[in-house]
Order: sequence, then structure tokens, then C-alpha cells
Amino acid sequence: MFKIVVAATLLLLLPAAGPDACAAEFPFGAKLLAPDQDTYETSGDGGRTAGSGHLPSLDEDDAYADQVGRIIADPLEPVNRVLFVVNDLILEHAARPLSAGYTFVTPEFVRKGISNFFYNLNFPVRFANNLLQGKPLAAGVEMSRFIFNTTAGLGGLFNPAGTMEAVVPVGDEDTGQTLGVWGVGEGLYIVWPLLGPKTLRDTVGLGGDYLLSPTTWIDDPWQLGVGLSALEIVNNLDQVLDMYDQLKLGAVDQYASVRDAYVQNRRAKIRQ
Amino acid sequence: MMPRFTIIAAAVLCLACLTAFAAPVAASEARDALENTINQVLTELKKPAMRDPATRPAVLANIEKIIKQLFSFDELSMRTVGPKWKSFTPEQKTQFRTAFEGLLRARYLNSMDGYDGEKITYTGETASTKGDKVEIQTVVESEGKSVPVAYRMLKADRWLVYDVIIEGVSLVQNYRSQFQSILDKDDVDTLIRMIRQKTEEIAAGKTGS
Repeated sequence: MFKIVVAATLLLLLPAAGPDACAAEFPFGAKLLAPDQDTYETSGDGGRTAGSGHLPSLDEDDAYADQVGRIIADPLEPVNRVLFVVNDLILEHAARPLSAGYTFVTPEFVRKGISNFFYNLNFPVRFANNLLQGKPLAAGVEMSRFIFNTTAGLGGLFNPAGTMEAVVPVGDEDTGQTLGVWGVGEGLYIVWPLLGPKTLRDTVGLGGDYLLSPTTWIDDPWQLGVGLSALEIVNNLDQVLDMYDQLKLGAVDQYASVRDAYVQNRRAKIRQ
Repeated sequence: MMPRFTIIAAAVLCLACLTAFAAPVAASEARDALENTINQVLTELKKPAMRDPATRPAVLANIEKIIKQLFSFDELSMRTVGPKWKSFTPEQKTQFRTAFEGLLRARYLNSMDGYDGEKITYTGETASTKGDKVEIQTVVESEGKSVPVAYRMLKADRWLVYDVIIEGVSLVQNYRSQFQSILDKDDVDTLIRMIRQKTEEIAAGKTGS
């Protein structure tokens, strides 16, 4: 049922997300998935931001002339800040003890194997998005690695393709990046409960990744699909927490720091 | 025959000049400075003294001295504040610079572990049109993961780093977002106080909000 809702929402949203459909005004002053420049102009800061959505080039990268102020439209900031604190509490008081317990009872080579397995299993997400972004060579590399790791790597538990010169890993592509490559704007910044920071574009992209992921389609028994998804999340928790700790450690304003790092990192991935 | 030879010689000379004084040389000069510093830091990290809590502070002090040769904390301070830097009083500028340097020291220097077999590959260089700024791209490999790290440098009396970009995230831009967000609501002295407070928290081993 949920799958059908996600698919239907995507089908409704995607045509509306094209560059031609920027006229739809979002109630918060930011346009719904409009190209980035428009989003900035409506954020009401008089164009103090870098419109291109990239880091400034070396030629433009001057201390005073550089006008970067707001990295992304954040009209929901008061709500987002509350959800950021809620997520922080969940991470510190539920996810961290859970991850610590899991790490304690699961040897590292098992965790590594499970992580390899899910990475291999999610091949359709990367393959489809490479094709959708017009990267047939990268898609071919993904295909080769998938075949090799599924057979010689015993269903993806091992990563024998890892060190092969001929199939050097390509950047991980997802649906949010595809939408970015297609010229869909980032839209506003949203902190989702449990899911964490996302742009509106990446929220839509997450729906696409969900539909492209094989575990979504395991129906018989459905408990297997849910169980696998849960295992994947718990198995990856320590890496998520590690990254979160790194970000938090030096931040004077943690909310602003995480927002900025998320947006910068996503933009860098889309440029690749 | 003779004039023609002169023209060709002149053309060859011009070409030589162009290639000699244009960006590539600037980039390799900057890269030499960067590589030299990174190698010195790696040498310090490899010292057994780094693993001993009693001798570790001395090694870290050495590393700090080496890093300070390469990083411009004046540029870092100006750039993390952005356009509002002009409205800081001279005292506030000095206080901010000291506080921010202290924060970076607590965050990055004091959390350095010993050498864990990290490998650094230099993957590319870009230069500005004028040749006064370069970006040196590297990949740091450790524990099976590779992390892209780029250094932006500018030419003063020597080449100095003014920004570090890790996995596409610029350090300067990240702090500027934070300081902007704070300066929207609070004044400069509050910002400086918050930076000092964060530094003390890190020193006390706290990471919580």
C-alpha cells in the first residue's frame, strides 16, 4: 500500500518538478522545487547568496566580495531546529545504545559482510540513476561490479571487485542527484523526524530510491523485507553516528553546521 | 633568412615565458609547500612519542608550529566572518582571530591520533586566472575508505592555505554559515564568547549540545 502511495506521489510530483513548472508558489515564499537561483531570490536576503549553488571558483573566492550568506532557503527554520533537537535526542538515547549493543555482539567481519551485502543489493538504485544521468560507462562499471561480487563475492557478502583496476568504483548515484542533474531546484530545507536533514528535492529522491531498492519489493513474507531494511539501518548506524560526531565536535551552531555540510556535500556529489 | 629566424626565436621565447610564468608554476610552487608541510606532519605523527600521553603534547606543539607556517589564520578569520568582518572593531578582530584559532586547535590538532597508515595521493591542481590562488586536490586513504580533501591556497610572501574542502564541504563556508546564523541574532562579542565556550567544551571532552 505504502509503495503505491510513494509511486503515485512521485508520478504527480515529477512532471511538476521540471524547470518549466516553476510558477507554483510554495506557501513559505520559496517556490516548490524551482531552480536554485529562484529559491534564493525568494529567500528574502537581497541576493547575498551564491546563486550557482557551487563553491565560489578560485577567481571569485575573495574574502569580502564573496557574498555567501544563506546556503539554502530555510523558511521552516524554527520547526526544523526543534526537530533537529528531537533527532539528536533519538540519536543519543536510542540509536547510540542500540548501535553500541549491536557492535558489541557482532564481530567486525560480520558487520563488514552485511554492509557489503546491502551495498551490492542496492545496485539497481545506482545503476538506474547512472543511466538516467547519461553515464553509461559508470553504469557499466556498476553492472560489472554487481555481477562479479554477486558470483565470486558469494551474493555480495565479499567485495572481490574492490581492488580491481578495470572496475574502479564510481561515485554512488541516487535519485536526488539525478533530479539535480536534470535541473530540478533544491527547494527548501527540511529536517525530517528520524530521516534527518533533506532538501525537498532529496525528499522526492528518497521516494525514488525506495522504489528502486529490492527490499521494497519483498512481499512474501513482508516481514523479510522489513527485517532486512531494519538490519541494514542498524548495521550502518555506527558509521552514521561517527559522521554525526565529527560534524558536531567543532560546531558553534550545530544546526547551522549540519545544514551547511549536508547541502555542500550534496551539491558536490551532483557536480561529479 | 635572418628576420624570419628572429621572429621564430621571439615566438619560441614568448611561448616559453607564457608556460614558465603562468599558472602551472604557481600551482607546483604551492603544491611543494603543501606537500612539504604534510610530509613534516606525517613524520611527527609517526614518532613513537605520539603514542605516549606524557610526550604527546610536545609532538603536538611541533605539529602546531609546522601547520602555522602554512595556514593563514588572518585569512581564515576574515573569510569565515565574511562581509561583516568590516564592522568588527580592531579589538574584536584580534579577539575573534585568537578565539577561532583556539577552536580549530582544540577541534583538529588535539584530536590527532598517531599515524594509522594513511596514504595521501595528489590528484589534481587548479589555478585562478591571475595565478594568485590555487586549489590542490588530494585523496586521503585510511582504513579502506578514501576521502577527497582539497586545499585552497593564496600567494602572500609565500603560499598559504586559506580553506580546506573535505568531501565537498568547505571548512570556511561551513563556519561562515554558522557565524552568519549567530550574528543574525546576536552581536560580535556574543559570537566570540560562544566560540570560546565551545573550545572549552571540546577541551573538557564534551561533545553534547
